[in-house]
Amino acid sequence: MPKKSTPQAPLTPAVLHILLALSTGERHGYGIMKQVEADSQGKVKMGPGTLYGSMSRMMEATLIRESDKRVDPEMDDERRIYYELTGVGRVALEAELTRYRGVVAVAEGRLAHGR
Amino acid sequence: MAANVRIRRYQACYAMLLRLYPRPFRKHFAEGMAQTFHDLCREHTDAGRRLFGFALWIFCETLGGIVMENILRLNQLGKTTLRVALGALAVWMVPLVSSQFFEDWHWGVGGFARVYVLFFLTGMVMALVARRMGVWSYKAGVGLALVAGFALGWSTMVQTADSGHPERLWYLGVLAVGLIGASFARLHARGLALTLFAMAATLALIAMILPSDAPPDMARRMAIGHGVYVALFIASGLLFRHASLTESHREPNRQAPAGA
Repeated sequence: MPKKSTPQAPLTPAVLHILLALSTGERHGYGIMKQVEADSQGKVKMGPGTLYGSMSRMMEATLIRESDKRVDPEMDDERRIYYELTGVGRVALEAELTRYRGVVAVAEGRLAHGR
Repeated sequence: MAANVRIRRYQACYAMLLRLYPRPFRKHFAEGMAQTFHDLCREHTDAGRRLFGFALWIFCETLGGIVMENILRLNQLGKTTLRVALGALAVWMVPLVSSQFFEDWHWGVGGFARVYVLFFLTGMVMALVARRMGVWSYKAGVGLALVAGFALGWSTMVQTADSGHPERLWYLGVLAVGLIGASFARLHARGLALTLFAMAATLALIAMILPSDAPPDMARRMAIGHGVYVALFIASGLLFRHASLTESHREPNRQAPAGA
């Protein structure tokens, strides 16, 4: 029985990056890694251990799911497992972004006050 | 060409490393991880960079993941065992407290200990098997087998403790057949079906060969009881057989099922 996630709970950086990478469409493991690297301007480099460990817990929490197994036309002819965001995952991502906006607003207010 | 050979060599080592993940994790992700590793190596060599340092980093990073997943799994198993042990203790209190109110209830320490072991084992089987449940007939088969097995174990304990006939412990052989069969079958439906049929056959055999000095009326009731148990085990076996047929029908059509 998969555990239901609590969308309000803060997400780990790895989970947030994976959710962001999948927010524009389904991707396979390598595709997620490349998207995370691009999204973070090369600052976040995730290895397979971190990526698939996080994805395992995200699948348990129904944040993501396997969508399909097919060939990536831009790569070799091997079939790859694709992953996609679920409704719960999208809600969790939006909640996390709202939380981040709140934190940024507080931080900016403090910094402006401190100047 | 040389790069391809090197990648293949590293891939073989990586595949061996992935075997250290817990089985459920491996089943879901090993293929994807191996592909991702291959893609990363290909990208690295295409960029003209050296592979050794990069592969070493990936190996270390994956090893960290392996340690983490194994710790999580052990924690989960430990928690399950603790919960079942406490649950069994709670259920065990029922006969323990009840025995204080019935004068002819004389089980002794050994009897109560055996009953606790029975509760605990039933709970553990239920908890471990529950993870595999997917097909309704598998669930029903497990439920029926556990109820029948538990009732048989329980009645054997009670009758042995009350009547002082240790030869009745032979009936526990049926449960032993079940435990051995289930472990050999690795909880696969097809193997469990055979195990349940073997349990029914063992029970029928024990009922036939065990000497009985019971009066005719009692002997008739015992025969009916044996018949009911045999029918329950056979019914459970048929449910597992149905589950195995359903699984084998689903397997060829399986298309990367939704994991969550």
